[in-house]
Amino acid sequence: MDKHLKQEALIEDALKSQTIAPMPRSITADVMARIQTTPAPRFQLTRNDFILAIVLTVVFSVIFFALQTLPPYALIQLRIQGILLWQSLLVNARWFVPTVFFGLAAFLAAITLPTLYQMTMDQGR
Amino acid sequence: MAETEQFLIQRAQKGDHDAFAALVDEHQRYVYNLALRVVKDENEALDLTQETFVRAWTALPNFKGQSQFRTWLYRITTNLCYNRLPNLRRSLNDLGDDVMEDIPELSSTLDNPVHEIETNETRKFLHQAISSLEENYRLLINLRYQNELSYEEIASTLNLPLGTVKTGIFRAKEQLRKSLAHLEESWIST
Repeated sequence: MDKHLKQEALIEDALKSQTIAPMPRSITADVMARIQTTPAPRFQLTRNDFILAIVLTVVFSVIFFALQTLPPYALIQLRIQGILLWQSLLVNARWFVPTVFFGLAAFLAAITLPTLYQMTMDQGR
Repeated sequence: MAETEQFLIQRAQKGDHDAFAALVDEHQRYVYNLALRVVKDENEALDLTQETFVRAWTALPNFKGQSQFRTWLYRITTNLCYNRLPNLRRSLNDLGDDVMEDIPELSSTLDNPVHEIETNETRKFLHQAISSLEENYRLLINLRYQNELSYEEIASTLNLPLGTVKTGIFRAKEQLRKSLAHLEESWIST
Protein backbone atom coordinates (compact mmCIF):
# COMPACT_ATOMS: atom_id res chain seq x y z
CA MET A 1 0.00 0.00 0.00
CA ASP A 2 1.25 3.46 -0.88
CA LYS A 3 2.60 5.27 2.23
CA HIS A 4 0.27 8.23 1.85
CA LEU A 5 -2.75 5.99 1.40
CA LYS A 6 -1.70 3.92 4.40
CA GLN A 7 -1.48 7.07 6.53
CA GLU A 8 -4.91 8.15 5.36
CA ALA A 9 -6.32 4.74 6.14
CA LEU A 10 -4.76 4.78 9.62
CA ILE A 11 -6.24 8.21 10.35
CA GLU A 12 -9.63 7.20 9.04
CA ASP A 13 -9.47 4.05 11.13
CA ALA A 14 -8.56 6.02 14.27
CA LEU A 15 -11.35 8.54 13.67
CA LYS A 16 -13.95 5.84 13.18
CA SER A 17 -12.76 3.57 15.98
CA GLN A 18 -13.03 6.14 18.78
CA THR A 19 -15.47 4.77 21.30
CA ILE A 20 -18.40 6.73 22.66
CA ALA A 21 -17.47 7.72 26.21
CA PRO A 22 -19.58 5.88 28.79
CA MET A 23 -21.70 8.08 31.02
CA PRO A 24 -20.63 8.07 34.69
CA ARG A 25 -24.32 8.01 35.63
CA SER A 26 -27.69 8.52 34.02
CA ILE A 27 -28.96 12.09 34.17
CA THR A 28 -32.58 11.28 33.36
CA ALA A 29 -33.76 11.60 36.97
CA ASP A 30 -31.94 14.94 37.41
CA VAL A 31 -33.39 16.33 34.20
CA MET A 32 -36.89 15.18 35.08
CA ALA A 33 -36.57 16.71 38.56
CA ARG A 34 -35.56 20.02 37.00
CA ILE A 35 -38.30 20.09 34.39
CA GLN A 36 -40.98 19.38 37.00
CA THR A 37 -40.33 22.93 38.16
CA THR A 38 -39.85 24.26 34.62
CA PRO A 39 -43.19 23.91 32.87
CA ALA A 40 -43.07 24.05 29.09
CA PRO A 41 -43.83 27.66 28.18
CA ARG A 42 -47.25 28.18 26.70
CA PHE A 43 -48.91 31.30 25.34
CA GLN A 44 -51.15 32.65 28.04
CA LEU A 45 -52.59 36.01 29.00
CA THR A 46 -51.78 37.34 32.43
CA ARG A 47 -53.85 39.64 34.64
CA ASN A 48 -51.56 42.55 33.65
CA ASP A 49 -52.34 41.98 29.97
CA PHE A 50 -56.08 42.27 30.71
CA ILE A 51 -55.61 45.42 32.82
CA LEU A 52 -53.47 47.03 30.10
CA ALA A 53 -56.02 46.11 27.44
CA ILE A 54 -58.91 47.58 29.49
CA VAL A 55 -57.02 50.82 30.25
CA LEU A 56 -56.05 51.32 26.60
CA THR A 57 -59.59 50.56 25.43
CA VAL A 58 -61.09 53.04 27.93
CA VAL A 59 -58.58 55.78 27.04
CA PHE A 60 -59.08 55.45 23.28
CA SER A 61 -62.88 55.16 23.69
CA VAL A 62 -63.01 58.33 25.78
CA ILE A 63 -60.90 60.22 23.24
CA PHE A 64 -63.02 58.92 20.38
CA PHE A 65 -66.38 59.77 22.03
CA ALA A 66 -65.09 63.15 23.22
CA LEU A 67 -64.07 64.04 19.67
CA GLN A 68 -67.44 62.90 18.39
CA THR A 69 -69.57 64.74 20.94
CA LEU A 70 -67.67 67.96 21.69
CA PRO A 71 -68.96 71.02 19.73
CA PRO A 72 -66.59 72.25 16.98
CA TYR A 73 -65.94 75.47 18.89
CA ALA A 74 -64.68 73.54 21.93
CA LEU A 75 -62.43 71.45 19.69
CA ILE A 76 -60.89 74.54 18.17
CA GLN A 77 -60.36 76.00 21.65
CA LEU A 78 -58.67 72.80 22.75
CA ARG A 79 -56.40 72.88 19.73
CA ILE A 80 -55.49 76.51 20.38
CA GLN A 81 -54.76 75.76 24.03
CA GLY A 82 -52.60 72.83 22.98
CA ILE A 83 -50.55 74.96 20.59
CA LEU A 84 -50.15 77.66 23.24
CA LEU A 85 -48.98 75.09 25.82
CA TRP A 86 -46.49 73.66 23.34
CA GLN A 87 -45.13 77.10 22.47
CA SER A 88 -44.96 78.01 26.15
CA LEU A 89 -42.96 74.84 26.87
CA LEU A 90 -40.60 75.56 24.01
CA VAL A 91 -39.96 79.08 25.25
CA ASN A 92 -40.01 78.69 29.05
CA ALA A 93 -38.98 75.09 29.62
CA ARG A 94 -36.98 73.67 26.71
CA TRP A 95 -35.72 70.93 29.01
CA PHE A 96 -39.20 69.57 29.68
CA VAL A 97 -39.89 67.52 26.53
CA PRO A 98 -36.43 65.84 26.29
CA THR A 99 -36.60 65.12 30.02
CA VAL A 100 -39.98 63.44 29.65
CA PHE A 101 -38.69 61.30 26.75
CA PHE A 102 -35.44 60.35 28.47
CA GLY A 103 -37.31 59.64 31.68
CA LEU A 104 -39.72 57.38 29.81
CA ALA A 105 -36.81 55.58 28.11
CA ALA A 106 -35.03 55.15 31.46
CA PHE A 107 -38.23 53.82 33.03
CA LEU A 108 -38.73 51.27 30.26
CA ALA A 109 -35.08 50.19 30.51
CA ALA A 110 -35.40 49.85 34.29
CA ILE A 111 -38.46 47.59 34.12
CA THR A 112 -36.57 45.15 31.86
CA LEU A 113 -33.72 44.80 34.38
CA PRO A 114 -35.34 42.12 36.61
CA THR A 115 -36.02 39.95 33.53
CA LEU A 116 -32.48 40.42 32.21
CA TYR A 117 -31.09 39.57 35.63
CA GLN A 118 -33.22 36.42 35.77
CA MET A 119 -32.05 35.37 32.28
CA THR A 120 -28.41 35.91 33.26
CA MET A 121 -28.85 33.82 36.39
CA ASP A 122 -30.55 31.04 34.40
CA GLN A 123 -27.73 31.05 31.86
CA GLY A 124 -25.06 30.87 34.52
CA ARG A 125 -26.81 27.97 36.30
CA MET B 1 -37.43 3.64 15.38
CA ALA B 2 -37.88 7.04 13.72
CA GLU B 3 -41.65 6.67 13.98
CA THR B 4 -41.37 5.82 17.67
CA GLU B 5 -39.16 8.86 18.23
CA GLN B 6 -41.61 11.03 16.31
CA PHE B 7 -44.40 9.74 18.51
CA LEU B 8 -42.36 10.40 21.67
CA ILE B 9 -41.57 13.93 20.51
CA GLN B 10 -45.24 14.64 19.81
CA ARG B 11 -46.22 13.34 23.23
CA ALA B 12 -43.44 15.31 24.93
CA GLN B 13 -44.57 18.45 23.11
CA LYS B 14 -47.97 17.96 24.74
CA GLY B 15 -46.26 17.89 28.14
CA ASP B 16 -45.83 14.12 28.61
CA HIS B 17 -42.90 13.73 31.01
CA ASP B 18 -42.54 9.97 30.46
CA ALA B 19 -42.12 10.49 26.73
CA PHE B 20 -39.48 13.13 27.36
CA ALA B 21 -37.68 10.85 29.83
CA ALA B 22 -37.54 8.19 27.11
CA LEU B 23 -35.99 10.74 24.73
CA VAL B 24 -33.43 11.72 27.39
CA ASP B 25 -32.56 8.05 27.91
CA GLU B 26 -32.12 7.56 24.20
CA HIS B 27 -29.92 10.57 23.47
CA GLN B 28 -28.03 11.45 26.65
CA ARG B 29 -25.03 9.27 25.82
CA TYR B 30 -24.35 11.02 22.53
CA VAL B 31 -24.93 14.50 23.94
CA TYR B 32 -22.64 13.72 26.88
CA ASN B 33 -19.97 12.32 24.57
CA LEU B 34 -20.04 15.44 22.39
CA ALA B 35 -19.85 17.74 25.43
CA LEU B 36 -17.05 15.68 26.99
CA ARG B 37 -14.94 15.71 23.82
CA VAL B 38 -15.24 19.47 23.62
CA VAL B 39 -14.91 20.57 27.26
CA LYS B 40 -12.73 17.61 28.36
CA ASP B 41 -14.14 17.57 31.89
CA GLU B 42 -16.57 14.88 33.10
CA ASN B 43 -18.48 17.02 35.57
CA GLU B 44 -18.79 19.93 33.21
CA ALA B 45 -19.91 17.58 30.43
CA LEU B 46 -22.59 16.07 32.70
CA ASP B 47 -23.74 19.55 33.63
CA LEU B 48 -23.89 20.56 29.96
CA THR B 49 -25.83 17.42 29.09
CA GLN B 50 -28.36 18.11 31.80
CA GLU B 51 -28.68 21.75 30.74
CA THR B 52 -29.14 20.67 27.10
CA PHE B 53 -32.17 18.56 27.98
CA VAL B 54 -33.69 21.17 30.27
CA ARG B 55 -33.41 23.72 27.47
CA ALA B 56 -34.72 21.19 24.97
CA TRP B 57 -37.79 20.74 27.17
CA THR B 58 -38.52 24.46 27.32
CA ALA B 59 -37.89 24.88 23.58
CA LEU B 60 -39.72 21.70 22.57
CA PRO B 61 -42.95 23.48 21.52
CA ASN B 62 -40.83 25.32 18.91
CA PHE B 63 -39.34 22.11 17.49
CA LYS B 64 -41.07 21.68 14.13
CA GLY B 65 -39.20 18.60 12.97
CA GLN B 66 -37.39 20.44 10.16
CA SER B 67 -34.15 18.83 11.32
CA GLN B 68 -33.59 15.57 13.13
CA PHE B 69 -34.19 15.65 16.87
CA ARG B 70 -30.61 14.60 17.60
CA THR B 71 -29.10 17.36 15.42
CA TRP B 72 -31.39 19.82 17.18
CA LEU B 73 -30.04 18.57 20.52
CA TYR B 74 -26.45 18.88 19.27
CA ARG B 75 -27.20 22.47 18.28
CA ILE B 76 -28.31 23.24 21.83
CA THR B 77 -25.21 21.48 23.19
CA THR B 78 -22.83 23.41 20.96
CA ASN B 79 -24.53 26.68 21.87
CA LEU B 80 -23.96 25.84 25.52
CA CYS B 81 -20.34 24.96 24.70
CA TYR B 82 -19.96 28.41 23.11
CA ASN B 83 -21.04 29.93 26.44
CA ARG B 84 -18.47 27.87 28.34
CA LEU B 85 -15.65 28.33 25.82
CA PRO B 86 -15.88 31.90 24.54
CA ASN B 87 -13.12 31.38 21.95
CA LEU B 88 -14.76 28.36 20.34
CA ARG B 89 -17.22 30.29 18.18
CA ARG B 90 -14.55 32.71 16.97
CA SER B 91 -12.05 29.96 16.20
CA LEU B 92 -14.68 28.15 14.11
CA ASN B 93 -15.51 31.30 12.18
CA ASP B 94 -11.80 31.98 11.63
CA LEU B 95 -11.30 28.65 9.85
CA GLY B 96 -12.17 30.22 6.50
CA ASP B 97 -13.38 28.10 3.62
CA ASP B 98 -10.50 27.27 1.31
CA VAL B 99 -11.53 23.61 1.01
CA MET B 100 -14.67 23.60 -1.12
CA GLU B 101 -14.45 20.22 -2.81
CA ASP B 102 -15.58 16.99 -1.18
CA ILE B 103 -13.02 15.34 1.05
CA PRO B 104 -12.54 11.73 -0.03
CA GLU B 105 -12.97 9.27 2.79
CA LEU B 106 -10.89 6.17 2.36
CA SER B 107 -11.84 2.79 3.64
CA SER B 108 -10.42 2.32 7.11
CA THR B 109 -9.84 -1.39 6.55
CA LEU B 110 -6.23 -2.24 7.20
CA ASP B 111 -6.15 -5.78 6.01
CA ASN B 112 -2.52 -6.70 6.56
CA PRO B 113 -2.35 -8.91 9.70
CA VAL B 114 1.43 -8.48 9.90
CA HIS B 115 0.94 -4.86 10.84
CA GLU B 116 -1.81 -5.49 13.38
CA ILE B 117 0.28 -4.71 16.49
CA GLU B 118 1.76 -1.65 14.85
CA THR B 119 -1.73 -0.57 13.82
CA ASN B 120 -3.06 -0.92 17.36
CA GLU B 121 -0.23 1.21 18.72
CA THR B 122 -0.76 3.79 16.00
CA ARG B 123 -4.49 3.83 16.66
CA LYS B 124 -3.88 4.50 20.35
CA PHE B 125 -1.43 7.26 19.45
CA LEU B 126 -3.90 8.81 17.04
CA HIS B 127 -6.72 8.68 19.58
CA GLN B 128 -4.52 10.72 21.89
CA ALA B 129 -3.68 13.07 19.04
CA ILE B 130 -7.41 13.52 18.34
CA SER B 131 -8.12 14.43 21.95
CA SER B 132 -5.20 16.89 21.86
CA LEU B 133 -6.59 18.75 18.85
CA GLU B 134 -7.84 22.28 19.38
CA GLU B 135 -11.42 22.52 20.64
CA ASN B 136 -12.86 23.70 17.29
CA TYR B 137 -11.33 20.71 15.47
CA ARG B 138 -12.44 18.32 18.21
CA LEU B 139 -16.00 19.58 17.88
CA LEU B 140 -16.03 19.13 14.09
CA ILE B 141 -14.34 15.72 14.18
CA ASN B 142 -16.72 14.42 16.81
CA LEU B 143 -19.81 15.65 15.05
CA ARG B 144 -18.59 13.97 11.87
CA TYR B 145 -17.21 10.68 13.14
CA GLN B 146 -18.88 9.96 16.47
CA ASN B 147 -22.24 11.61 16.06
CA GLU B 148 -22.14 10.62 12.39
CA LEU B 149 -23.53 13.84 10.95
CA SER B 150 -23.06 14.76 7.30
CA TYR B 151 -21.10 17.89 6.39
CA GLU B 152 -24.39 19.63 5.61
CA GLU B 153 -25.85 18.66 8.98
CA ILE B 154 -22.74 19.91 10.78
CA ALA B 155 -22.93 23.19 8.88
CA SER B 156 -26.57 23.57 9.86
CA THR B 157 -25.93 22.55 13.48
CA LEU B 158 -23.07 25.00 13.93
CA ASN B 159 -24.60 27.64 11.68
CA LEU B 160 -21.41 27.74 9.61
CA PRO B 161 -20.85 27.74 5.84
CA LEU B 162 -20.34 24.27 4.36
CA GLY B 163 -16.87 25.28 3.13
CA THR B 164 -15.80 26.17 6.67
CA VAL B 165 -16.86 22.76 7.94
CA LYS B 166 -14.93 21.00 5.17
CA THR B 167 -11.89 23.20 5.78
CA GLY B 168 -11.99 22.50 9.51
CA ILE B 169 -12.18 18.74 9.07
CA PHE B 170 -9.48 18.81 6.37
CA ARG B 171 -7.14 20.79 8.66
CA ALA B 172 -7.86 18.53 11.62
CA LYS B 173 -6.87 15.53 9.51
CA GLU B 174 -3.81 17.40 8.32
CA GLN B 175 -2.71 17.86 11.92
CA LEU B 176 -3.25 14.17 12.57
CA ARG B 177 -1.21 13.39 9.45
CA LYS B 178 1.66 15.52 10.82
CA SER B 179 1.48 13.80 14.20
CA LEU B 180 1.56 10.45 12.46
CA ALA B 181 4.57 11.49 10.38
CA HIS B 182 6.40 12.47 13.59
CA LEU B 183 5.58 9.10 15.12
CA GLU B 184 6.86 7.24 12.07
CA GLU B 185 10.04 9.32 12.06
CA SER B 186 10.62 8.46 15.72
CA TRP B 187 10.19 4.77 14.88
CA ILE B 188 12.74 5.00 12.10
CA SER B 189 15.27 6.85 14.27
CA THR B 190 15.06 4.27 17.12
